[in-house]
Amino acid sequence: MKRLVTFTYLLLSMLFADIAQAESASEIRIGSKKFTESVILSELITQHLQNNNVSASHKDQLGGTRLLWNALVQGELDIYPDYTGTIIYEILQGNEISSDADIKAALAQYGVSMTDPLGFNNTYALGVTPPTARKFSLEKISDLEQHPKLKFGFTNEFMDREDGWPGLRNHYQLPQTEVRGLDHDLAYKGLEAGSIDLIDLYSTDAEIAYYQLSVLEDDKSYFPDYRAVILYRTDLLDRSPGVQNYLAQLSGSISETEMIQMNSAVKLDGHSEAEVAQSFLNIKFNTLSKIKVSTRLDRLIATTSEHLFLVCISLGAAILVAIPLGIWGARNETLGQIILSIVGIIQTIPSLALLVFMIPLLGIGGPPALVALFLYSLLPIVRNTLSGLTGLPLAVQESARALGLPPAAQLRLIELPLAARSILAGIKISAVINVGTATLGALIGAGGYGQPILTGIRLDDTSLILEGAIPAAVLALLVQWSFDFAERTLLSPGLQRKQDSVS
Amino acid sequence: MIQLRDISKSFNGHEVIHDLSLEIPQGQTVVLIGPSGCGKSTLLRLMIGLLWPDKGNISLFQQDLSKTNVEKLRQQVGFVLQDGGLFPHLTAVQNMRLMADYLHHDPKKIEHRIAELCELTHISSDLLKHYPTELSGGQVQRIALMRALMLDPQILFLDEPLGALDPLNRVSLQEEMKSIFSQLGKTVVLVTHDMGEAASLADLIVIMKDGYLLQYDTLSNLSAQPADPFVTEFINAQRKPWQLLEDQIK
Repeated sequence: MKRLVTFTYLLLSMLFADIAQAESASEIRIGSKKFTESVILSELITQHLQNNNVSASHKDQLGGTRLLWNALVQGELDIYPDYTGTIIYEILQGNEISSDADIKAALAQYGVSMTDPLGFNNTYALGVTPPTARKFSLEKISDLEQHPKLKFGFTNEFMDREDGWPGLRNHYQLPQTEVRGLDHDLAYKGLEAGSIDLIDLYSTDAEIAYYQLSVLEDDKSYFPDYRAVILYRTDLLDRSPGVQNYLAQLSGSISETEMIQMNSAVKLDGHSEAEVAQSFLNIKFNTLSKIKVSTRLDRLIATTSEHLFLVCISLGAAILVAIPLGIWGARNETLGQIILSIVGIIQTIPSLALLVFMIPLLGIGGPPALVALFLYSLLPIVRNTLSGLTGLPLAVQESARALGLPPAAQLRLIELPLAARSILAGIKISAVINVGTATLGALIGAGGYGQPILTGIRLDDTSLILEGAIPAAVLALLVQWSFDFAERTLLSPGLQRKQDSVS
Repeated sequence: MIQLRDISKSFNGHEVIHDLSLEIPQGQTVVLIGPSGCGKSTLLRLMIGLLWPDKGNISLFQQDLSKTNVEKLRQQVGFVLQDGGLFPHLTAVQNMRLMADYLHHDPKKIEHRIAELCELTHISSDLLKHYPTELSGGQVQRIALMRALMLDPQILFLDEPLGALDPLNRVSLQEEMKSIFSQLGKTVVLVTHDMGEAASLADLIVIMKDGYLLQYDTLSNLSAQPADPFVTEFINAQRKPWQLLEDQIK
């Protein structure tokens, strides 16, 4: 089994190494985290480079800080924007780093450089609705100490970060226990609906003004500065000498007001990040970026082909590996148990975790998603192949042997055709699960139907969410139907009429 | 034709065949009979390498049966199970010609052989395109017999071939088999627990009990000179209904 898995792994990595190299030779890759400001900034960087005739592409809304940082260090990305506070506390984890020079020196160890700040500070803050502020007379973070019953809803990243909730709780000795992690864009909804009382904010969020939130004063100055900067791989200086200058042009160019305006243009007025970045660059640099205006159909075609690519390759590889594994396991009971336990354990790893585990091995984008989906598709096929073969009636097995067929011919002519219904059912289950799980691929930059869902959640745009959710559901149904059809046409009529005689 | 020398066989530490020897001459129909669990089906499976003995050896056609030659030897033996053992995903004719096709026999010869066998077993060729689930129990057993005879084997093994049939079908197929066996002159080993079947079909009868061979002889000798009281008991236990009726009248 190990050889088969290694083989598939190698095959897939070779396939994608080629694609990745073809890209990296010419193009500079800019990543963004999965919140609007990060997407706008990366779009802005990308367009600015393109306006200066540098070939650049934007891998948008890839995930959180860890993911982007690892991708940058490993060379999956060349550039992404981040914040000084985040770099100090989350990436470099703290000690004795305060000035920009300290940061630059520490980053240099990783082969990463940093531009001067872009101009605005986007710090963390805590916010409540005005009625909550009045009811509990909340003005400062230290006021929270008196109200242990308040329900907090924080972004998942804030929940875990050293400069997030754990540090904040210690710093202010906060007593609250009901603290939930949730998506930042959903947090505003929860706050408005009253299911949570307090959320973490980015100080440049457009929603602060829109919902007229009261921002609590950081009276014991816990939160550090989060000045936006651009991180880039130092080797860019050799690969693309002009880039450093173009990035430097962006330093000091974005004020806090401008950033809030841009956020609000996307989140509240429904403009695309590309349009917002285009008009900003037009004002600042008097350039006019070419942006692709994609219709819903263009996007559907793109996401469908990405989704089908993920599903077909991973499922195909899983079939090629899982059926032999099932056959092997059926030959020997102990071995069968071992194989089933291993693929069973793989199945219990949460899909998001599995996707993230793959990143150090395979980077971001298609390859890690394919391998994760491949691993998830194994269990149903292995189990159904194995049970289909071991469940054959004894009389049939004895007859096949007594005829004098060698084992390989018994398998090909008798056992596999008889187990076909079970095997096909296993593949169908894998395919349907695969179509659903592949939507998570968007979280690590693999595209697919997850992309519009992710963007839709971020922008609170239901039609965009449906643009991913409906095709995904339709595809799952189509897969189901085509397997039902295959079952009717491929299976021997002798197995159709009286199902209880086999299986 | 078939020789078993000092065969022992255990399942999970429990010995079911004890040091058994047996020689089956060419062209004879030998019936293995005994109560349930006497080891008769196990013995049949040992003869075709579906099971392997713990001790002793078995030879077919003067060749010792081993894992290296078992597939070759099986191809010279026909095997019929209680419920036929037909492959449900293949039609009757596909079941019959599976092995011949696998061995790349001449299709014309295969067709000819199928026609021959249809005549022998009184099966209409229309029936051959049906799947096993569409056939009656008697038809399934006839097809299974035809499949076993397809490569014209010298030896035929049958494991309770009539066991799953209703009484009427049972009698008619029994008569047919008797005539087929006498026409073909093959060496036949048949397992049953029905003394009437044994009496009708057998040249020689092997009576088994608890994994031991009690007596191996013709029916008349078994009756006249029983080697063990159980032999008489077993023969007499299987009386015909009309005999029971006679007893009641008396």
